[in-house]
Amino acid sequence: MKFAFFPGCTMAYRLPFAEKSIRMVAPHFDIELVDLAFTCCPEPNTVRALSDDTWITFAARNIALAEAEGLDILTACAGCHESLSLAKHELDKKPERKNKVNELLKGLGLEYRGTSKIVHMHQQLFDEIGIETISSKVVKPVPIKVVTHTGCHLLRPERILHVDSAEVPVKLDMLCEAIGMVPLDYMDKTMCCGAGVRKTNSVTSYAVLREKMTSIAMVEPDAIVVFCPTCFITFESGQRVANRIFGTDFKFPVFYYTELLAIAMNLPGMDILLAEHRVKIELPASAETKEERKTGAKDSIPSSP
Amino acid sequence: MGEDFQRNQLKELKETALPCFQCGVCSSSCPVFRVSPELNPRLSVDSIISRGKVPSEGNEWLCAYCLMCDQRCPMGVSLAEILMVIKNISAREGKAPPDVIESAESLMADGCQSPISSRSEKQREDMGLPKLPRANPADVQMLFRATGAAEVVELNRKAVEEASE
Repeated sequence: MKFAFFPGCTMAYRLPFAEKSIRMVAPHFDIELVDLAFTCCPEPNTVRALSDDTWITFAARNIALAEAEGLDILTACAGCHESLSLAKHELDKKPERKNKVNELLKGLGLEYRGTSKIVHMHQQLFDEIGIETISSKVVKPVPIKVVTHTGCHLLRPERILHVDSAEVPVKLDMLCEAIGMVPLDYMDKTMCCGAGVRKTNSVTSYAVLREKMTSIAMVEPDAIVVFCPTCFITFESGQRVANRIFGTDFKFPVFYYTELLAIAMNLPGMDILLAEHRVKIELPASAETKEERKTGAKDSIPSSP
Repeated sequence: MGEDFQRNQLKELKETALPCFQCGVCSSSCPVFRVSPELNPRLSVDSIISRGKVPSEGNEWLCAYCLMCDQRCPMGVSLAEILMVIKNISAREGKAPPDVIESAESLMADGCQSPISSRSEKQREDMGLPKLPRANPADVQMLFRATGAAEVVELNRKAVEEASE
């Protein structure tokens, strides 16, 4: 299946190793990725908050680029997925908004028609490819305990996104199980990571993160698994900021799901990608017992955030 | 343009918010309210219904847009969407937070929310990632101006300058 790939600004320029992991696993699942001249999705908490018309017009331009190529869009970030999906929903429902947007796009030689679907990597892996196919590709299971955080913007609004249950998401846990991990349940599983208010009130943002991490820490996972680059950065770098502000002691390794998938598939070059992580983990060999496992998280935090 | 825009938006907001009977499940589900009770989605909506005004404190900018309130409202009132419209109104009053304006300026400059540095371009290259095609900056700026964002950014820049004088 061929897609217009939408890595989004955050993944492309701040978490390139996560993008790399998607590009590594894609061909093994018959996913072909095409790069187009997209702009930022745009992000709801900044651009949309300033001007709803600007948000919907930029989103429409992005979707129209994929439509011109006859491709569906494959998103990698929850924020981009939500932003593009909501814009599409609004444009398909309200012809007057669509016409207004198309008046502007005409000047760029583009038209929004509503023919391309917006699909997140999470949906492509779980709903289209399926757990069984994924399991069948695993050559080196990853035997660690994890908590999953699907991300607000993949879950809500549930009536429009249909990715997983907004209150009891389980699909990412099943994707983790498929590659040998043990997903743990925790209290505030559907709670926000706090990223949404980082630009408006950073202390509040890290206080939300502290609440979320406290709930995660209670079940003592080896790592946190996410499907959004913004959530990734909030957890991985943000925990150190939260530690400084609140005197907490969070040191969890964080993974974007396809990184672990690439590891489980034993694809070459993953060690280089893992070197980019700020909190390291020494993954146990599949045959190792729990007692033999060593996580390197405690003493491998680099000095700069 | 500004005042008409606001009057229409407020009228629409009031209709959207009307089914709210102030049960408060929005606030008790709000991760921000849990740590910063000054953001209270229930009170924001109450102000619109009973006083026909957006709340004056500017706390709408604390909304993380996580949509938990939207998910749980028994009357199907999307508090997060209402707060989004309030943010649009507030931005037109020059009350947008500086970091939000900066992000918008970054998007206006190179089509990307986080500024693209030569370091990040190099890092992509080292990992064997393709150079991503970029939007024509003239197109980006045209859309920014034609849809009102350039005006809102300008207005907020002025508000910051006036405040510092």
